[in-house]
Amino acid sequence: MWHIAKREIYNNLNSLRFALATVLLLGLMLTNAVVHLREHPERVQRYRERVSGHQNHIAAHAESSLYDLAQEGPGNLYKKPSDLRFCAEGGEAFMSDRAQAGYHRWSTDTLKSFWILAYPSATPNRDNVRPDVTKVDWGFIIGYVLSLVALLFTFDSISGERERGTLRLTLSNPIPRHTVLIGKFLGAFISVNIPFILAVLVNLLVISTSSDVHLDAEAWGRLGIIFCVAVLYTCLFLALGMLVSARVQRSAVSLVTLLLVWVVFVVFMPSTLASIAGRSTSSGPTYDFSERSWKLHEELSSDYYSRHYKEPEGSTKRIEIDGAYVTKDAEQQEQLHEERLNRRIAEVHRARAITRISPVTIVQNLIESFAGTGFERHLQFLENVQIYAREFRTFIVDTDNADPESLHIFGVRTGMSQEPVSPEAVPKFEDTLNLSKDFNTAAMELLLLTLFVLVLLSGAYLAFVRVEV
Amino acid sequence: MMTLIRRELLDNLMTFRFAAATFIMLLLVVANTFVLIIDYERRLASHNDAVKMHQRQLQEKITYSAGEVRVDRPPNPLSIFNVGFDKRLGNEVRISHRVVPSLWDAGMHGSDNPFMDMFASMDIVFIFEVILSLFALIFAYNAFAGEYESGTLRLVLTHPIGRGKILVAKYMSAMLCLIVPLLISLLLSIILLTTSTAISLNSDDFLRIGGIILTSVAYLSVFYLIGLLISAATRRTSTALMLSMFIWGFLVLVYPNMILTVVPRPESPDALRTSAFNQIENIWETFDKERKHYLATDDFPGEDWGYELRGLGSRGANLMGNSQRLLYTYRSVMNFEGFGEKDEPKMPHAQKHFGFLGAQTIDAADRTWLIRKPALEEIFIQRADIERIYLKLSPVGLYDAATQAWAGTDLLGVRDFFHAARQYRQSVINYFYDNKVFESRQWFAGDKGEADWSGLPQFSFQRDDINTNAKRAIPDVCLLLMINVVLFIVIFLIFIKTEV
Repeated sequence: MWHIAKREIYNNLNSLRFALATVLLLGLMLTNAVVHLREHPERVQRYRERVSGHQNHIAAHAESSLYDLAQEGPGNLYKKPSDLRFCAEGGEAFMSDRAQAGYHRWSTDTLKSFWILAYPSATPNRDNVRPDVTKVDWGFIIGYVLSLVALLFTFDSISGERERGTLRLTLSNPIPRHTVLIGKFLGAFISVNIPFILAVLVNLLVISTSSDVHLDAEAWGRLGIIFCVAVLYTCLFLALGMLVSARVQRSAVSLVTLLLVWVVFVVFMPSTLASIAGRSTSSGPTYDFSERSWKLHEELSSDYYSRHYKEPEGSTKRIEIDGAYVTKDAEQQEQLHEERLNRRIAEVHRARAITRISPVTIVQNLIESFAGTGFERHLQFLENVQIYAREFRTFIVDTDNADPESLHIFGVRTGMSQEPVSPEAVPKFEDTLNLSKDFNTAAMELLLLTLFVLVLLSGAYLAFVRVEV
Repeated sequence: MMTLIRRELLDNLMTFRFAAATFIMLLLVVANTFVLIIDYERRLASHNDAVKMHQRQLQEKITYSAGEVRVDRPPNPLSIFNVGFDKRLGNEVRISHRVVPSLWDAGMHGSDNPFMDMFASMDIVFIFEVILSLFALIFAYNAFAGEYESGTLRLVLTHPIGRGKILVAKYMSAMLCLIVPLLISLLLSIILLTTSTAISLNSDDFLRIGGIILTSVAYLSVFYLIGLLISAATRRTSTALMLSMFIWGFLVLVYPNMILTVVPRPESPDALRTSAFNQIENIWETFDKERKHYLATDDFPGEDWGYELRGLGSRGANLMGNSQRLLYTYRSVMNFEGFGEKDEPKMPHAQKHFGFLGAQTIDAADRTWLIRKPALEEIFIQRADIERIYLKLSPVGLYDAATQAWAGTDLLGVRDFFHAARQYRQSVINYFYDNKVFESRQWFAGDKGEADWSGLPQFSFQRDDINTNAKRAIPDVCLLLMINVVLFIVIFLIFIKTEV
């Protein structure tokens, strides 16, 4: 078996395709590293500035009074950029890098609306008239280029030998067929992975030698997982190549078939399926939402004004009505925003579930989730934000309860504590990446990918066993 | 000659690759046309909703100063073929005498789920871009190398036929084969288009589609010739195939995505931006001075721009600027429903003031535009155009650019709309002048007769006729044809010198 693998490797190493694949992959990975080093420090710098701006914002309001802090909210919360952004861009441009924990809508002479948690959508840069291109990240290199290379290495592995007549020679030796197949598979596997590993090493070398980007132990672990996913993905295409190559009599036909399968599954399937799924969504135009929000607020206000003026000015009862109005309004509106967010997420989940038929989407999703970018990561960020919002509100309630002079009526200045708060005591928002959570979201996709590989491998085995030479 | 063509044609037609090519093409084009038509219908519905809503919002305003005329850019039905900038750039813009509208002031109405944008959508030209080039190479790789290996080339050349003729025959027959799936799939998609009620194509549109087909054929031919060149130069099918596939991967997959990240992005011209913005700021500061001067020197005591009107309603004014987009404007809005007794004598003064202010604002806005237009052009457009040139270094980029131009979804096509919007603004201003709207009481108050929006000129945007599209597309098509000619000559030279 090892003998066959060795023969295959020697054959491949001397071939034109090996040289071309090496050049192509090296070029792409090098570009990727250079671009990352150019863009990432800026991104990190911007994030740091924003976080310190956010802390100043909290400090300024905390020093004023507890009511100010409770009314104003913690301000914008920012998503931490991932150090492994070069692995997967993950459509980050379509997702906002912030959540607004301090969204205000109205104020009257006496009252101010309380902050709510809003989820702004990414504002696509409409000033941008530059041509639109896909970013060259690992996801692209692995998903598109590496899979094509894998097919080009295997399309003639069996049919080519049959054409030349060497297959008959090999099989006349006392070696079981599955050993021959495994040997061939191993040979192709190693010869595809040599240029890939080389390219990955060059890429990581360039990135890690730079002083601007630091990769910690966890990042290296994640990179290792991403690499394993990539290897598994190449296995899939190697197995596919062998399957078709064993079934088909001539290598030219084998290549045409493989290319068509590749084009359909890799290039077209993801976007076509996503468009089909996306078109069946029911979300209406944007202004429907603002009209609904306005209507809810109007209903609450008319109810409030009818009760507000019945009470004498300055009475506790009136403060209570005011407070109930403000808090109820904030609660309603926040719920509305959250409902909209959940509806949007559900739509995306539906669309993504359908696109999983294509292996390239699976592998790109996997790379995204381990690189800490993309949609699942965005959901993690939103969850972090929601947890923080709860924590912040609990802190306000607790601090207010600790003040004996306060009336403990939320929503109105007179009903709440007027004492300044020490800025250090206010909870800080920290966006974290959680590897175990990533594993949970990725487990299904990993399983699916492995399943694909196993099915194709056994298909290739069956096809090869029944080959008539 | 005819026998040669017939032989080649039969050879090509009866192959697995021809059947596969036709089948895959049909499948992809039809499936995607369905999706694209649904998408277009949605965008059209959203456009119609937006038009209605903007109409309604305008009618609700009782004073002219509070009213905001908005115009919407309808989706282009040919965006089904090449979406270009049609979906990406703003599709509604405010028409006001205070600012000259441009692409950079436009807003966007559309779907409620911006997350869905992360799924790339595909247009028909993209399918052709990927598939046609692949098929062309698959058809070409063994044209010479295969015959050379099987020895038939020697046989053919023993006949008294010129080598040039053999080459032409090969080229013609393969192109005929490749055009068949292209035409069938396009025909099917056009039939699908005509069945949709939302899409109405006029004769110009069919000519544009004809232009797209022509460009597709030129593109197809480029890739076929590349394959032929490789086949003639390498003489071995397996090498030819490998080389073709890598070149295909490089030209179609890698180059368009990599080139823009490889070339250094030009620095944002901050100096130009600041100097232009300073000039614009100066214009508006002078404007503000003159405005205050008028208020101080007119017959009415006090310097309040609202003439101390105390009525039922709202007022507000501000000067605001945006240095990113070089926007600066003065906005004063008054929306009164009724006044007290004491206010009546102030009215003539206020009316005269608003008449003066209207003319001043228009003048300042027009002068701003004179500075703003070239600056925006240099900051945004020129830099993007350089990148577009880099993309055009590959036939894929040329093909994309040319079909965008035919479809009218290129940057120039989208900017035509803003040009029309600027003309419409002028006609609105003329209407305001003709009807003395600035001096009218309805400018700021709706108590004695509300603002009458019905007389306002209607906005309608017609895409330019086919001549404009052709003018924009021809350079790129010519370049594609030139690549064809050069490749053909090179192949001819190689083939003539080949020793069999």
